[in-house]
Amino acid sequence: MLKRYDPFALLALFALPAAAAMVFFYAPLEETMGLVQKIFYFHLGLAAAAFLSFFVACIAGVFYLVRRQRVWDERGAAAIEVGVLFTTLVLLTGSIWGRPIWNTWWTWDPRLTTSLILWFIFTACLILRGAVEQEAKRAVFSAVMAIAGFIDVPVVFLSARLWRSIHPTVIRSEGIALEPAMLATLAACVAAMLILWAALFRLRCGMQRQENTLLDLQQQLSR
Amino acid sequence: MNLGQQIMLLYRKDLRVEVRKKESLIAMAFFGALIMVILNLAAGRSGRIEAEQLAGILWVAILFSSVLGLGRVFAREKENGCVAALLVSPLSPEALFTAKALVNFTLMCCSELVLVPVFLALFGGRLEPDPLALTVLLGLVNLGFSAAGTLLSALAAGTRRNEVLLPILLYPLCLPLVILAVKATGAVFGGSALFEILDQLEPMAAFGLIYAVAGYLLFAHAVREV
Repeated sequence: MLKRYDPFALLALFALPAAAAMVFFYAPLEETMGLVQKIFYFHLGLAAAAFLSFFVACIAGVFYLVRRQRVWDERGAAAIEVGVLFTTLVLLTGSIWGRPIWNTWWTWDPRLTTSLILWFIFTACLILRGAVEQEAKRAVFSAVMAIAGFIDVPVVFLSARLWRSIHPTVIRSEGIALEPAMLATLAACVAAMLILWAALFRLRCGMQRQENTLLDLQQQLSR
Repeated sequence: MNLGQQIMLLYRKDLRVEVRKKESLIAMAFFGALIMVILNLAAGRSGRIEAEQLAGILWVAILFSSVLGLGRVFAREKENGCVAALLVSPLSPEALFTAKALVNFTLMCCSELVLVPVFLALFGGRLEPDPLALTVLLGLVNLGFSAAGTLLSALAAGTRRNEVLLPILLYPLCLPLVILAVKATGAVFGGSALFEILDQLEPMAAFGLIYAVAGYLLFAHAVREV
């Protein structure tokens, strides 16, 4: 059943304003980009959570196909929904940053292309879920699509690399190119976004479970 | 029967249906040619088109027309209630996947036998693509598209909106393949030989293999729900 107070939701209530406060009052102003650069902290946090949710959707899909337990379908569905939401926000925040810095809303950079294609794949997954009525069929189809979508990622990135990249790489193999204060803010933002992700994910899982329980009751009544 | 015999049996069955009815192939070739005529008209009479854009036109025509054939392969079985019959028969679902993918591969190859000459007639006045490189490219795209398409057409056939859903599910997955194919074909139209486009051919082959394996493993789950 849905709990009134989810621990992650409560935590997110404090973590998100704290992270936002760090972004605006603690992190120093970037020299060349100025105020616009601050969106980067949210952008990276959202991106990390978005990719996490597609990974979770794929794993949940595998577990559902192997074990056929309803709970894995609920987790997969929640991960896809939250993932699509977060990827949308990643694309939006990236565009807002790119407009003043790159002087364009959109460019075919590997990271941008990968995010956009992932957004298309998992939105298609949501559309597929909406098109199937029967629960077992919907679960199998969505699991297959989530797995098929996730294994596309390496090829997508490889193919997108053919285009020239202008995306800044902050985290390289040699280390992280950031001021210590900026790094702390970034870590806080990523952590806050992951907490928010966990809260939303658990909320959607709970709602899916309730929906399924309700459908079960309906079937029992009509019998 | 071993797996190979099962696959051949199913493959021959589907090809026989296609040869007698000719519904997929004619629709694919006709629609593809139609797209190229439309794009030719849309490009205008004076406009010079670059090699990479020409490659894009060729692939738009091929991939948009192929989805017609992919959709039919399962819809036909479903209309006649044959999916259940195939599943209760002693044939394995893996053989079913391989046979259907091979049928799609064959259909795409046959429609390309019409579409590529039409393309060269409409756009290719100056083009002299290396025939070997072009054949390899067509083969790799056909492999990837028919492997991923067969898996997803089973999903789409299980819903009530088959024709609408299949392109929505399939094109996002095949976008990397399209990106690579357009890049490589553009180079071939510009005069590159086969060994010069290996950078693009390798990920294209990887795409085909990934979805051939994924389809082989996942198809049984999907088709039981159709």
